[in-house]
Amino acid sequence: MLFLIEYNREKGEIVNIRKFDESKKTDAESARLDLELDLRRKGTKHEVVILDAIDEARIRRTHRRYFESLEELAKAS
Amino acid sequence: MANNLNKTQVDKLGDRLRKGDITEAELRLLDDYRRSFSEAYEFVVRAIRDELGLEPTGRPAKSTTSIIEKLLRESIRLSQIQDIAGCRLVVSGIEEQNGTVTLLQKLFQRVTVVDRRKNPSHGYRAVHLIVRHEGKLVEIQVRTSLQHLWAELCEKKADVFDPLIKYGGGDSVTTALNLRFAAAIEDAELKEWQMSLADKVLSGLSARRGTLSKSKQAELDAFLKEQRTWRKKLDSYKKTIRDTLQELIAELENPDRG
Repeated sequence: MLFLIEYNREKGEIVNIRKFDESKKTDAESARLDLELDLRRKGTKHEVVILDAIDEARIRRTHRRYFESLEELAKAS
Repeated sequence: MANNLNKTQVDKLGDRLRKGDITEAELRLLDDYRRSFSEAYEFVVRAIRDELGLEPTGRPAKSTTSIIEKLLRESIRLSQIQDIAGCRLVVSGIEEQNGTVTLLQKLFQRVTVVDRRKNPSHGYRAVHLIVRHEGKLVEIQVRTSLQHLWAELCEKKADVFDPLIKYGGGDSVTTALNLRFAAAIEDAELKEWQMSLADKVLSGLSARRGTLSKSKQAELDAFLKEQRTWRKKLDSYKKTIRDTLQELIAELENPDRG
């Protein structure tokens, strides 16, 4: 499963997340480029990244920073 | 297609990215360059999944933001960035980390190990393996759960407060707290690892205590006693980790924080 994430670093929050089946990798990559181009035109500085894992639970474990606030990260540890 | 760009052209693209105000054409070129790592990325992740039965989380291509930040932060060329494509494995502790690194070294023919436990980067500890596949590099990060916790907290602080925190910058209180937290984690992990090695030897010897001479039995008793002392030390290291986390939470909840 591929996860296309738009992340607002300053707020530390995910703006949007889209999921793609593993077989749709090219679609996910094209969506990433379209999103980056769109954000550039709008002058919005968000981080755009594709993550790849068998399920969302694993992404939430290995890339907690995208999903949890600093307080949540510290308290859940 | 940028897949056909030579090294000089890639580095020229990197120079333009470093200058900022990236154009649409440059964004497309960078995207093509990142996509050129797809095959190597898939080779590495598939091998880890199929041959080792492990489940890495992958990041097939570094984000534009992270690439530009790296170009600005380091005197590095775009073609030299080793983690355009990468994946991550989070394991329980040092013993499993060492075992996983050994398996990965055997799995890939052309691999370089960067042990950041020996040379931590501003408190960041982990083992990175750089695999070369058909001219492309793919980075595998192997972190213990505590090393991972440290990295996640540090990156999140860098996101919301100051990007420099990740590289040892930021305010002195945060820097000191990060380093203290990293040191507590290192102490606890090393002690736990040493204890687990000693446990194996001592339990083997204890099982055949009756066959040992009196002097060897006395030595074994002394080791077992020392092991109990170590266990108490480990508990104190773990307490330091909990205390440091509490300090961090208190710092975050401080209404006077800027």
